[in-house]
Amino acid sequence: MVQTEDRSTPGAAFREGYVEAGGFPIRYMEAGHGPPLVHLHGAGGLRLTPAHDLLSRQFRVIALEMPGFGQSPENTRTRNMPELASAMAQAAGELGLDTFNLMGTSFGGKTALWLALQEPDRVLALVLEAPAAIRSEGSEPPSGTPEEMARRLYAHPERLTTVPMPDPAIQAKTRPLVMRLRGPDRDADLERQLPVLAAPTLVLFGTLDAVIPPEMGHLYKELMPNCHLVFVYDAGHAISTERPEAFTEVVVDFLERHEAFIISRTETVIHP
Amino acid sequence: MKVSYFETARYLAPRNLPREWPVPPEAYDREAGAQAYQGMIERLRCAEELGFDWVSVSEHHYSPQRLTPAPIVAASHLAAYSQTIKIAVLGPIVSQRNPVQVAEDLAMLDNLAPGRLVVGLLRGITGEYLTYGLNPAEARERTTEGMELVLKAWTEPQPFGWQGRHFQFRTVSVWPRPLQQPHPPTYALGTSREFCEFAARHHLGLGVSYAPFEVISKATRYYREQCARYDWRPTPEQIIYRANILLAETDQEAEELLQKQRGGQPPFPLRAGVRDALLTLDSRNVAGEARVPNVGGILPTNFCGGPDTVVDQIKRCRSEVGSGVIDLMFQNPGSGDLGFLTRSLELFGKKVLPHIRDL
Repeated sequence: MVQTEDRSTPGAAFREGYVEAGGFPIRYMEAGHGPPLVHLHGAGGLRLTPAHDLLSRQFRVIALEMPGFGQSPENTRTRNMPELASAMAQAAGELGLDTFNLMGTSFGGKTALWLALQEPDRVLALVLEAPAAIRSEGSEPPSGTPEEMARRLYAHPERLTTVPMPDPAIQAKTRPLVMRLRGPDRDADLERQLPVLAAPTLVLFGTLDAVIPPEMGHLYKELMPNCHLVFVYDAGHAISTERPEAFTEVVVDFLERHEAFIISRTETVIHP
Repeated sequence: MKVSYFETARYLAPRNLPREWPVPPEAYDREAGAQAYQGMIERLRCAEELGFDWVSVSEHHYSPQRLTPAPIVAASHLAAYSQTIKIAVLGPIVSQRNPVQVAEDLAMLDNLAPGRLVVGLLRGITGEYLTYGLNPAEARERTTEGMELVLKAWTEPQPFGWQGRHFQFRTVSVWPRPLQQPHPPTYALGTSREFCEFAARHHLGLGVSYAPFEVISKATRYYREQCARYDWRPTPEQIIYRANILLAETDQEAEELLQKQRGGQPPFPLRAGVRDALLTLDSRNVAGEARVPNVGGILPTNFCGGPDTVVDQIKRCRSEVGSGVIDLMFQNPGSGDLGFLTRSLELFGKKVLPHIRDL
């Protein structure tokens, strides 16, 4: 079924809240009812997309703003990704989430992996959207003018109603944090631990990702015992912005059925 | 210059057939069909002995004009009866097939005919979409996505899912893998701007067909420009030109036969209402310039004459179109028997091939 959504104001139904964790006041956006789904954003910061709206139809979606991103004060305290992950786990706990589904986008994909390793019993399932945990050598996070950023992030910026414009001041503030926490392109410490990560995991890459080559996808599958890899056709790095319906359909299906999501439920009866 | 012999399983109807597509199955003569498929093997052996580099097959449906609705089945049959000639599947109509199945079938064939497979993937001419009820408006997008999925299925080392616009698979993990790595030589068959760009982006060859040199060279030039944009340069062998050839002993004989052929009607035309409706639903272009779709019309004869003239024409094709492979549909004017076709093939092998080898 083709679902469409008013994409002019994504996240309109989300309400803002704050929670204290790791000594940081942490902003979050929340909508929906159902099993909890915690989202950790990418290096560009928290930005609600049409996919958040679609996901909130079936899940209680909580998008956390990691300390140092957005309007929050500059974060010079967090030293590495495991520390950031630990603060995010604590934030989820403060929100009363004992167990939850966890979704991480790009940079936040690496945070999500560390969180899942730290709290294996709390993470029910893991969704990694274009994760930046395993990168090709010498890769750089997107930077430059809004146009240059758009060309890296989106396969078809011309198809978007509005191309999200990053705030240069916020970018300048968060860049040192991102560069400090992103870790090496191949993080031996992380990769050594991934084989014990039992959480059902879905890794998604856009076939036209210009930030992380989609060819990195299979490495997750090789390292993690319960990993599924899905390519989203014709999407760039920001899959949930470019193809929100396609993204949400497979994410929801995976979160509901885990590995059984490979069994088709598509009906082909044309007329009874 | 490499030369490919385009084999279509020539069906000689023992009695007049209804002149309309689709041709009713009851008109099929089993004896004539058996002879058509037997003839395929005879001509294959002849082409292989004469030194043709490739034998090619294509996908067409619901008429005896080209009796290969299942080109991969035809190709595996040809592979089993040959030793060295390359088997070119030009190709499955991707828009109306399951891309994963296409990837599987071709990977299997690449192993059955070790390293001899050449692949062309295409959108198909408009009339073909009637076969399996494909909406012509979706054909272009389905082809592009399907081709990308075929390539992914051949090259991804781990099982993967595909969340497309037109195709969705939760788990793809093709066995056997193609013998040729990363995959068999593959061509995008078409002239459109979109196709040239797709081929350039994926480092594929380009296959063009039938239009005159000056028209088709616009597409091959655009393709080379796009390849340069992606920092690579295709070899001449990465451009195929499929062409009709009418080769006779002399120019005069060829010209007379061509005149006779020219007066004819398309063999199995669509009904006018269907043809006209399809024309409004399809859009084609050569490197971005609009082109009227060919919906069941007659195709031009691109090479015509005695051996010397044809050698000159092929030289001109090489320099104007830039193709290093010509895929030849040998004309057999008059429908009584296939004697002329066999003689043309031999004439080509002996009097044309030696003079174009080193182009």
